[in-house]
Amino acid sequence: MADFKFPPFYNYPPYFTLQPVKDTREKQVQLWKELILDYCKTRNIFVIRPEEDFPLFSNPTIDRSLTHEARQVFLSALVSEGRAEWLDKGHKKCLVLWHRIQDWADILVQYVKENGLEDSVMTVEEIRSGPESRGTELHGMDRIILWRALKLLENKGKLAIFKGTSADDEGVKFSL
Amino acid sequence: MRRRPGIGGLQTAAAARDQYRLLGENVAKLRTDLMKEQLATFRSQLEDFARKHKNDIKKNPVFRLQFHEMCAKVGVDPLASNKGFWAELLGIGDFYYELGVQIVEICLATRPHNGGLINLQELCSLLRQKRKGSREAVSEDDCLRAISKLKVLGSGFEVISVGKKKLVRSVPTELNKDHNEIIELAQSQGFVTIDEVERRLSWTSGRAIDALDTLLEEGFAMIDDGDRDGRRRYWFPCVSALSASGEADS
Repeated sequence: MADFKFPPFYNYPPYFTLQPVKDTREKQVQLWKELILDYCKTRNIFVIRPEEDFPLFSNPTIDRSLTHEARQVFLSALVSEGRAEWLDKGHKKCLVLWHRIQDWADILVQYVKENGLEDSVMTVEEIRSGPESRGTELHGMDRIILWRALKLLENKGKLAIFKGTSADDEGVKFSL
Repeated sequence: MRRRPGIGGLQTAAAARDQYRLLGENVAKLRTDLMKEQLATFRSQLEDFARKHKNDIKKNPVFRLQFHEMCAKVGVDPLASNKGFWAELLGIGDFYYELGVQIVEICLATRPHNGGLINLQELCSLLRQKRKGSREAVSEDDCLRAISKLKVLGSGFEVISVGKKKLVRSVPTELNKDHNEIIELAQSQGFVTIDEVERRLSWTSGRAIDALDTLLEEGFAMIDDGDRDGRRRYWFPCVSALSASGEADS
């Protein structure tokens, strides 16, 4: 797992308590938003479940942990900027978009071009776990995000999606 | 037997007065000339000195401090104006104006974190990081001088002493004695609790809460409810040097 360097504020206890004063709160939310995106990107994390233990939200060194309210505030701030999405109404699962869907689509196009797959057919599963994508950001990426990126490209006419018999064998034909 | 005044006596007295006056004028003139000469010599010596040690003054903060002290003793302010021979000779004015601008930048950049109150030490270390490429070393004394020059802008830059530490305030908010005492108390651990303020300063709880609320409202303090003992802690970023230590690690 990649090494992650925590920013200085992560070791300062008050940043784990929601600040009541507006300006201070804004700064706090901004810092946490950046940290969550950085952390998830470095560790390849796509989904945060705020009600469960999540290492980023507790710092044993200073014995501080984010309250549920704070977790909701920070994640909701990301959602409002389009950098995350709640996957359920109860806000129990949060999809973190450290690349926006558009950026993921660009990465996909880049990958297709670099590997000469412009007119090929692949399964969706192949894209995220096949040998060709190993070493790229696509490898092991979240299915939901991949699906969104594919849909986006389909709408732009850059590929066609074929329904298979099960979720695993949906196919994609690129036409770049 | 008492002599009565005669015309001769009056004339003698007048002549003597004239003589005295003439002599007095001569002496005064002589003194002024001598003074002028000494001043000219002194000035040229000081110029020679400054010219000779120009590089030391520029590069060595300790030497610079001593030079400033010497100038202060003889009543010369090398920073009084950017024009005039000191600036031309040393470029020393530019140096402090540059520092001043950088100090303002740092204060603005760290304001969201510390509410506009920063530890002088932290400010200096941030300043040094910012000036990494530059040849001249910067001391705390240089910072203080540059800040004192910023005062003419009326922007509310001020150095306040809290306990043993010096803090630089870059927002117009005036801190009263109560606030200062709390910040001083916070220096040992970086935070205070209401209980602690009441106990250590023998204040009523209303007074403590009032002062802490103001500090919170102004962005100088942050609350922390995460401690196991359940007591709310008020942290003061201005005494914790958070950003400096963090960036030094990286």
